[in-house]
Amino acid sequence: MRVNRSERYRKKDGRPPLPEVTEGTSATIEDALVAREAGSMAQARAILAAIDKGQGLRTVLRAAAALEAGDEEELLELIPAVQKEEPVWQLRLQVAAVLERGAERDGLVRDATKLGAPAWSLAWVRALSSDDAERRQGLVDLLFEDAALSRTVAARDLAVPHVQADNGAIRRYAAFAHGRDVIRRFGARQVARLLERAGGRSS
Amino acid sequence: MSRPVLSLYRLDRAKLAELSRRLRDLLARDDRAEFASLLGLGEELAQRVREARWSVDLMLRPDGDPLVAPLFASLRRVAKRAALEHVWTSESPSLEGRLRAYDVLRDDQEIAAGVDRLLDPTRLPWFLQRPGTTGGWLDDGQRSTLASAMEGVAPSLPDEVNAFVEAFGGMDGDAIVHDGL
Repeated sequence: MRVNRSERYRKKDGRPPLPEVTEGTSATIEDALVAREAGSMAQARAILAAIDKGQGLRTVLRAAAALEAGDEEELLELIPAVQKEEPVWQLRLQVAAVLERGAERDGLVRDATKLGAPAWSLAWVRALSSDDAERRQGLVDLLFEDAALSRTVAARDLAVPHVQADNGAIRRYAAFAHGRDVIRRFGARQVARLLERAGGRSS
Repeated sequence: MSRPVLSLYRLDRAKLAELSRRLRDLLARDDRAEFASLLGLGEELAQRVREARWSVDLMLRPDGDPLVAPLFASLRRVAKRAALEHVWTSESPSLEGRLRAYDVLRDDQEIAAGVDRLLDPTRLPWFLQRPGTTGGWLDDGQRSTLASAMEGVAPSLPDEVNAFVEAFGGMDGDAIVHDGL
């Protein structure tokens, strides 16, 4: 992947433009995360802009990065796509699954519940709690809602000894866990702020 | 080694739901003494429960794990005693294959869908699912509808399927089929 810095254009607010990522690159979200972790926020934003397909996690991260950078122009362009993310509850729970216990996490879970989050997804988030009693309750609820998924979560997320992931649940697990893990690396608070800004969160 | 045969049970859904509620509550509270009591465990197996971090950890382990296999077997026995009444057992190990693949049943979409639902183990509570076995359930209405549809094609069905249809249509209430209880 090659990133060219263009100094030819300056934005109206005086900030320099984002680095330009050349077309035809095979950049991925991983590249953007690596750039962020190296402190290259502008490069990470440029990568996210280059790989954005107008919907999905890439758009969400691009919008969160724009909010973080104070780029209102780009943020306003992206918010409608963030608001249309489907299923509507999923992003809230993926963020909640990463946050520590507290009002912010509780608010996201409450919103997701109102938006129709299925019982298994709520149980999964509880199963990841740092509180033992809540984690146990979540595991039990998940066992009764989706036994195959409960074993996969216990094995992969919680490393419960002698428990094996169930192949029947791998696809369901991956669909939720991939976004959650990316959000964890990107920064869950930034995505939570984006959700609040997008009008999808009550406190 | 003998091949398993399907059995038919009348399900008392309210009693199964009550057992399920009780089990869920005990696991959530991690009341190991009551959990061991519910399963009717002897001292050695109860000790395994006491030594676990949480009782639910044991229920997350594979059914075939030697440490927990007797616990799953006990749980199935308790569920069977509480909520299932044996109605009939097939004499033919080939019944499941006939139900799943016999062309007369497959060619009728309504029958095929009903049979597939009846033999779908994911419709059973997790503690009645057992790897490598067949099981499933239909409520009274679904059972009655499927039985009537199968009776309609009875002249074209093999004997082992007709024996099943007779028992399946002749019972009342919700039905569970299983070859591992």
